[in-house]
Amino acid sequence: MSAAPMDDRAESIRMIRDSAAAVAPPGGELKRVRDLRFQDPGFDAGVFRQMGEMGWIGLRLPEALGGAGLGLGEACALAEELGAGLVPEPLIPAMLSAGLLAAAGGKGALPVLLAGEVVVLTAWQEHPDTLEVPGTPDASRRFLPMAAGADFFLVPQQEGGRLALYELSAARSAVTVERTQDGGNLGMLTPNLREATKLADDIGPALAEALDEAALLTGAYLLGGMERAFAMTLDYLRTRQQFGRIIGTFQALQHRAADVKMQIALTRASIESAAAALDAGASGDARRAAVSRAKARAADAAMRVTRECIQLHGGIGYTDQYDVGLYLRKAMVLTNQYGSAALHRRRFMAVSPKVEE
Amino acid sequence: MDAIRIPAPQELDGLDDEHFRQVVRAFLHENYPEELRNPPKRLHWSENRPWYMKLAEKGWLCPGWPKEYGGLGLSPAKQIILTEEYERYGVARTNDHGIVMLGPLVIKYGTEAQKRFFLPKILTGEHIWCQGYSEPNAGSDLAALRTEAVLDGDHYVVNGQKIWTTLAMDANWIFLLVRTDKQAKKQEGISFLLVDMKTPGITVRPIINLEMHDEFCETFFDNVRVPKENLVGQLNKGWDMAKALLGFERIFLGSPRQSGYALSRLKLLAERMGCWEDAEFQDRYARLRLEFEDLKALFGVYVEKLKRGESLGPDVSMLKVIQTELFQKITDCMLEIAGENAGLLEPMEGNRDLNIGGLFIQARPASIYGGSNEIQRNILSKNVLGLPG
Ligand SMILES: Cc1cc2nc3c(=O)[nH]c(=O)nc-3n(C[C@H](O)[C@H](O)[C@H](O)COP(=O)(O)OP(=O)(O)OC[C@H]3O[C@@H](n4cnc5c(N)ncnc54)[C@H](O)[C@@H]3O)c2cc1C
Repeated sequence: MSAAPMDDRAESIRMIRDSAAAVAPPGGELKRVRDLRFQDPGFDAGVFRQMGEMGWIGLRLPEALGGAGLGLGEACALAEELGAGLVPEPLIPAMLSAGLLAAAGGKGALPVLLAGEVVVLTAWQEHPDTLEVPGTPDASRRFLPMAAGADFFLVPQQEGGRLALYELSAARSAVTVERTQDGGNLGMLTPNLREATKLADDIGPALAEALDEAALLTGAYLLGGMERAFAMTLDYLRTRQQFGRIIGTFQALQHRAADVKMQIALTRASIESAAAALDAGASGDARRAAVSRAKARAADAAMRVTRECIQLHGGIGYTDQYDVGLYLRKAMVLTNQYGSAALHRRRFMAVSPKVEE
Repeated sequence: MDAIRIPAPQELDGLDDEHFRQVVRAFLHENYPEELRNPPKRLHWSENRPWYMKLAEKGWLCPGWPKEYGGLGLSPAKQIILTEEYERYGVARTNDHGIVMLGPLVIKYGTEAQKRFFLPKILTGEHIWCQGYSEPNAGSDLAALRTEAVLDGDHYVVNGQKIWTTLAMDANWIFLLVRTDKQAKKQEGISFLLVDMKTPGITVRPIINLEMHDEFCETFFDNVRVPKENLVGQLNKGWDMAKALLGFERIFLGSPRQSGYALSRLKLLAERMGCWEDAEFQDRYARLRLEFEDLKALFGVYVEKLKRGESLGPDVSMLKVIQTELFQKITDCMLEIAGENAGLLEPMEGNRDLNIGGLFIQARPASIYGGSNEIQRNILSKNVLGLPG
């Protein structure tokens, strides 16, 4: 990312936000999202392709590899808009895979992935709540988001102390899928690398960076969801009447809304400052500390904010038909993805002494 | 377990507490359907009917009712023991509105004819009741309810809409709060009416809740004709009777059992996730556990009052707030330690005891129904602390 002047940068972020409207209607219409829930694969391959056409899957890749060469500021802004619209297409996992394929020299399915023609998921995780990638041969890879719609898997495998990268066709893989609260799914893959193509010998460092970016983008997605759920709640507080009064006039509820606002403000500051730090070249521990701070905040705040939004709605908040609940269910799925708040707090403490002052 | 003789229902109240506890255990062991233990969701009538009918057949259905009306006549202390043992065994909640709400109300305020007609039908499972209080615009402000009943000869004609009616689709009778005087102050124009749901003009529409379960309903009334004699108590005095019942609901909702159940599941989950031994987790668990123990102690204070025959004041609201918020904190903790399993729709590893997301979602409305926690705090600050305003 070249250091663009501030105004250009703001303009670039504004444009990417506007472009998100193609997929996430700004008015908050969730019919498309509802229709896809609890169906396989849980998202629309046509919309995923559209994301490719708009250059989103390769947003972070250099132009030489077919990417858009944009920074995390832009990527987070986009993720936030998609979170506001609860967009189910697995863009963040696909961006992670694109990063790996790029690091592998642009091999394998990269061009078709960037075009949105195929969904490529990286099967890195062997245990719940971790960012470690042991790459154990034959170990099952778990918690693959939207695995029901995958065309290819990327499998990191330990070889001679390094992580090699394999690409595997989903059609030839054993995958079991479980549904999630948001209407999507998580898959478990038992990789059979005899059917796979080897793409790289040493993907470890690139994967660690890609996981950090995915964690930060997930935080941004959650931020978008919090903002929208809160906006709906404020509307409700301004219109619902009980005891002959607008409920938003009750001071007890006003204070709760103010508390929610503060959580959202902290989350935004945390995400945006982390994105700026990474765009400015933060690396190593400084990079990890910034990402962990942001994801820890977003994970906690998303749960707290969406829970409050339900409570402030009363009974209607506990219905499936009313949209605010969809934000709680999405937060349940994403809060611990790419590391829970506790994991990120631990990691922050482990790296922060080295980054202080 | 040594075979424990299960005494006749009318003898149960006379047993000493420990013996009674053993009897309840043996009873459940003998009679409770294994496949209904700890169901992940609230059961519908079709599912829990066998258990309900078994309780009816054995005469165990209505523990709190006086013996003369077919209940077990259990003291509050024994009712607590019974509930504890049911909870420990994972007994599902039944369609119990007739047992815990309408029955006691009829016993207290009903006419002889109403008692003779309604109570036996609850005891046999012929009448399954639901509670029609809330309306779209009368939730926390229940006294604003508008569903009206107008006298026309020997009948009240009911028009209006109820909402959030739990398990209305399973019920064949509903007890309603209706407006019978539009001129009076809002609390003073409300009456209590019992309605056969087969009466023409009633429509029940299920609402899917956040658990993706059709547990509550909208219930519509369009010129529904209800015999005059189905009014309970005095005309326009329904509010006071309903309030008396709500007091009971508050202690029921303040019972620590939901939190106790959730705590035991949190422990299981922590063991499964491998964090049970972590010092950090132990501290967290200890906080929740101690809050649970303190809640139990506070609950015990109120149970003692009941035992002495005292009535409970508005301060019982504390129990409901503490209990429901503890339940929520425990399920929050489950979500936080579960990693990606937090997002699963079904119980983890197909194990009902690891129903992480389900339990988390079930904990949400506990602070909404039965008088929201905001309303309970209003009661505490105004009616207990006497703060102005
Ligand atoms: C799972 C479930 C089951 C239920 N089952 C039944 C049933 O079987 N039968 C039945 O009749 N009803 C039932 N209810 C309805 C329940 O009693 C109401 O939801 C409850 O009274 C709240 O009313 P409301 O939903 O209209 O919310 P509202 O009253 O509109 O409240 C919205 C928000 O405003 C807050 N608020 C309202 N007034 C004040 C105030 N003065 N000060 C501060 N905050 C305030 C509330 O706490 C809440 O956060 C059920 C509800 C749920 C969730």
